Amino acid sequence: MTENVNEQVDKEKYVRAYGAMVLSRTFDRKIITAQRQGRVGFYTPTMGQEATQVGASMALDKDDLIFEYYRDVPMMIHRGVPMEKLLDQIMGNSEDYAKGRQMPSHFIARDNNFMSIQSPVASNLPLATGAAYALKYRKKNSIVLTTFGDGSTSTPDFHAAMNMAAVYELPLVFLCENNQWAISLPIEKQTKAEIWKKAEGYGMEGVKVDGNDLLATYKATAEAVRKARDGKGPTLIEAVSFRMGPHSTSDDPNKYRSNTVQDGSDQDPIILTEKALKHMGILNDSMIEKIKSEAERIVTEKFEEREKIPPPEPSTMFDDVYEEMSWMVKEERGEIL
Amino acid sequence: MNMVQALNSELDLRMGADDSIILLGEDIGIDGGVFRVTDGLQAKYGQERVMDTPLEELGIVGMAIGMATTGLRPVPEIQFQDFIYTAFDQIVNQMAKMRYRTAGRITVPMVLRTPYGGGIRGGLYHSQSGETYFAHTAGLTVVTPSNPYDAKGLLSSSMDLNDPVVFLEPKRLYRAQKADVPEEDYKVPLRKANLVRSGDDLTIITYGSMVPTVIQTVEKNSLDADVLDLRTLVPMDIDSIVASVKKTGRVMIVHEAPRTLGMGSEISAAISERVIEYLYAPIVRVTGPDTPFPYRLEEYYLPNERRILAAARKILDFR
Repeated sequence: MTENVNEQVDKEKYVRAYGAMVLSRTFDRKIITAQRQGRVGFYTPTMGQEATQVGASMALDKDDLIFEYYRDVPMMIHRGVPMEKLLDQIMGNSEDYAKGRQMPSHFIARDNNFMSIQSPVASNLPLATGAAYALKYRKKNSIVLTTFGDGSTSTPDFHAAMNMAAVYELPLVFLCENNQWAISLPIEKQTKAEIWKKAEGYGMEGVKVDGNDLLATYKATAEAVRKARDGKGPTLIEAVSFRMGPHSTSDDPNKYRSNTVQDGSDQDPIILTEKALKHMGILNDSMIEKIKSEAERIVTEKFEEREKIPPPEPSTMFDDVYEEMSWMVKEERGEIL
Repeated sequence: MNMVQALNSELDLRMGADDSIILLGEDIGIDGGVFRVTDGLQAKYGQERVMDTPLEELGIVGMAIGMATTGLRPVPEIQFQDFIYTAFDQIVNQMAKMRYRTAGRITVPMVLRTPYGGGIRGGLYHSQSGETYFAHTAGLTVVTPSNPYDAKGLLSSSMDLNDPVVFLEPKRLYRAQKADVPEEDYKVPLRKANLVRSGDDLTIITYGSMVPTVIQTVEKNSLDADVLDLRTLVPMDIDSIVASVKKTGRVMIVHEAPRTLGMGSEISAAISERVIEYLYAPIVRVTGPDTPFPYRLEEYYLPNERRILAAARKILDFR
């Protein structure tokens, strides 16, 4: 009986995970099209990394913190960030959490414990160590996950954070989403060493996982999360997938690469996940069809709804520089408005 | 107390009252910091709260920011301001902009302490005055004391702030003066300059390590000058500056940092924009030169009585 209940819970968990992957992919396609139509300024597609992110997200609790990077839409969707809020950010409208201040793909969702991002890569990693230290100091049961791409592993921020996390045995999981490309630079030109092996040099466990495999990523992350929660320190996970799209809508990958994984092809993580979940008896064709059409409906409806929201009031650009506005900003506001 | 003791006293008081305050930095624990500002605090509050960190400025600042985003109130120390630049992205892009980019959903209440300035035979890399780098970044509050009393009270106000502060400690003054400093907590307000001395002929605007030099020069030579100690460099106290300039009509700005785009440039421009009609003479800056900071010749680098006096004569004699 207990086994059956667990099985049912597990089934729902995987269906929900697959749903988040599909919704994210649908979102990607919609935003790319909208950007070409001039309705969105910029976007960094996530396609190809859905299994990595949703798999990792499945291993987290509600109270865990995420110091994310700019390609984490699937994880955000899986953790329940409303589609409205993702669109508000992309459009920079007056309903956006950050009042339209950041360019698209720079999400924050504090309610879902996404801690916001800046553009220079890997710069969230040191912050993740501080947050993990705070959780440990306060004897909380939560942990921190931080995500970053393969290019980030070349930065001093990566080094600083890996070292600090290991020295202080922090409840922290480093998830490197190795999509094999940093804009135009392929992984073999980024680093001579395998990424997961770098962990050893810091006195940390490193794990490599097939980032196109939802279950494998989930299990690897769950193991690292359990370790972190048990006070056994940080782990570096290298999840290898493939950046199917361009770096961003401003990028033309045809200039630097020819072989890509096509949307819907056999190597596409969504297709791979469909196969795996069908094999496990969790998904069937009619469910897949329903999930996909529902995703289309949600994204289309919400996009049109959020597109109607006006931009932020001009006066808002002067808020939140300091808790108490400085005289300079007051004066400049007076001059500009 | 001297300035080191005053700062130590404030950190001690606040740590005793609030367990969200964490100190982190290089050699600040068992060694008490290379200038001893955190002396004895690790023994009292433990290694968890007074952290001897790895030698990684970027990591120290970034870690502190992360702590601040999750409910702690860290006070990181960078051993010398000259060493801060590997953490510059963290300071400019994370620490300063967190409130803005999250529309106040995440804030960074932290005080980044660091000794700055020359006069201790530190050469190029233990003497820099880099305040302009921070002053130019929206979202940062830049504070610098000029005496033990202000050091404690300004640190107290900085630790109350729900925004990040770059707290620049003029290392030459760490042990240069002793003053009556209350044992208990008290505040010296931020964003307020201190009119250290009042006079009618001339306004001298200065801060940090140059304040004692200016005061000595003014007193020794009986200059009838307002001496304004800015205390907070950004946002600076423009009202006090304007009030004094209206009274004297003659302005000198003294700082140790290089002249080009130093604080003097901004102060001078702000005065010109507001009260140029009150000026009887050009505004004159007495500053460090636009050279790196030399080891053996530092007394030529630092503004001194001779240069301040020469500038005063130029301003007062201008017709």
